[in-house]
Amino acid sequence: MTTQLPPGLQLEKVDERIMTLNVGPQHPGSGHMRLIIKVDGDYIVSCDPDPGYVHRGEEKMAEYRNYIVNIPHLERPVIHDSCNVLYPYCLGVEELLGLEVPERAKYLRVIASELNRCVYIQYWLAIYGIFLGHSTMFMWPAGDRELLIDLLEKITGARVTHAYFVPGGIRNDVPANFEDMCLKRVNYFEKRIKEYAAIFYDNPILISRTQGAGVLSREDAIRLGTTGSTLRASGVDFDLRKKEPYDAYGELDVHSNVLKDGDSYARSKIPWLDMLESCNIIRQALQKMPKSGSVRVKLKPNPKGGNDEVYKRVESGRGSLGCYIVSRSQPEPYRLKLSVGSFRNLICMPYLLKGEKLGNMPAVYWSLNYWPVEADR
Amino acid sequence: MLKELLTPQNANVFIGKLGDILVKAVDAPLGYAINWGRLWSLWPVHIETACCSVEFGAASGPRYDVERFGIIEAFGSLRQCDLVVVQGTITRKMAPRLRLVYDQMPEPKYVIAMGACAITGGLYFDSYNVLPGIDGILPVDVYVPGCPPRPETLIQGCMLLQEKIKRMKAR
Repeated sequence: MTTQLPPGLQLEKVDERIMTLNVGPQHPGSGHMRLIIKVDGDYIVSCDPDPGYVHRGEEKMAEYRNYIVNIPHLERPVIHDSCNVLYPYCLGVEELLGLEVPERAKYLRVIASELNRCVYIQYWLAIYGIFLGHSTMFMWPAGDRELLIDLLEKITGARVTHAYFVPGGIRNDVPANFEDMCLKRVNYFEKRIKEYAAIFYDNPILISRTQGAGVLSREDAIRLGTTGSTLRASGVDFDLRKKEPYDAYGELDVHSNVLKDGDSYARSKIPWLDMLESCNIIRQALQKMPKSGSVRVKLKPNPKGGNDEVYKRVESGRGSLGCYIVSRSQPEPYRLKLSVGSFRNLICMPYLLKGEKLGNMPAVYWSLNYWPVEADR
Repeated sequence: MLKELLTPQNANVFIGKLGDILVKAVDAPLGYAINWGRLWSLWPVHIETACCSVEFGAASGPRYDVERFGIIEAFGSLRQCDLVVVQGTITRKMAPRLRLVYDQMPEPKYVIAMGACAITGGLYFDSYNVLPGIDGILPVDVYVPGCPPRPETLIQGCMLLQEKIKRMKAR
């Protein structure tokens, strides 16, 4: 049977020795993106990433929706990290509209965004585990993240798409017994994730598969513009929560995790260390948070920004996430641009996979902390 | 009487009638058995198309555990699969690939449209790069609404599909 292949799907024949492989979009080892890999025997000669399978035109759509209507669809790029995705947008719109966020809302935002970071990293860890063939590492994080999802559901009302942050604060206050509930769950969660070291990070099979695979040197990491866990695994201490504190992060003691190796093992360990750090931040924020007060500034219907432009960035689960908004005295933004961590980390894939064994491809691919939907927007 | 009927001239007709009766007697129970086998071993394709794959992953996780209902986690090759769960938005770049995946699967095959985007385009109904629902490219069996659907909703959709398969004529 010959099927008419759509344009862009045909593979070119290069050489007698070299074979072209299509990894994705339907492939057990890839997400919603495609890698065109040329292999010589078992070794990868070149790798050409082909993103754009989930390009939905978020930025264009934002231009004909007003600032409030934009909230739900701007969190869709990363629904399991929805608080952090909305964070730069809310910070930007607040600056455009000249809103002052109440003190209690600032702390609740920090708590919600750290909880969401844990939920995101747990999902990523589950996927990383299953694609390395470690089934237990899929089951454990996928089960433990439900604990925090339940907590977030109690606060926000939705399982993953919270739409909790709004310009001027947060949508609604937390329930009465939130602090006890949160502290209990975070303590249990921390106890659980410490157990991952024994089964995953100290596992000799994982170490032999990931250590030394896809090494990214410190210079290359800076030159290629990587961010987040990929950058910090290569020995660059760059965490926006510490370098450019936003909201209540300035009053909290944030420690950023840095490893020097720059290989897949270091890149997979950094998010796990980040989760432990998130638990510390949540505990600090719960202590310092004002016990009562307003959580939201009342907005005028259909608020208009001035003739202005603003760029805000935050540290998301995948690295620095920026939002650039241009306002032309209209209820809608004139231009909105999301600068996302996933796309920046994708850039180093051709460099990392060159000369690797084909079997190392999933270990390198998933260690980049890459979420295709966010990269394509 | 029977001797008269079973002349060499009539034999072909008679055997044909007997065959019809046999087919009717066997077809329904056999079809039921075939469908019963199919509905407890649905193999979804591993094709993620958008963000609903997060909830699809959660449904395979330990809390929801869709494997209890005979939906195996999305692994394996296309040639062993008989279920496409379209997990969210289909863009213009993804649509030919999705159709190609569907064409490569052996019969019988079933389609679940998961999430508002796969049903009508959802939040992206007016986007320039998104299909307004997958009805135009695939024959959908079950629609699972939500943005994204909760894992319970997806499981209910799978159970509805199993009900449907039970009543289908086995091919």
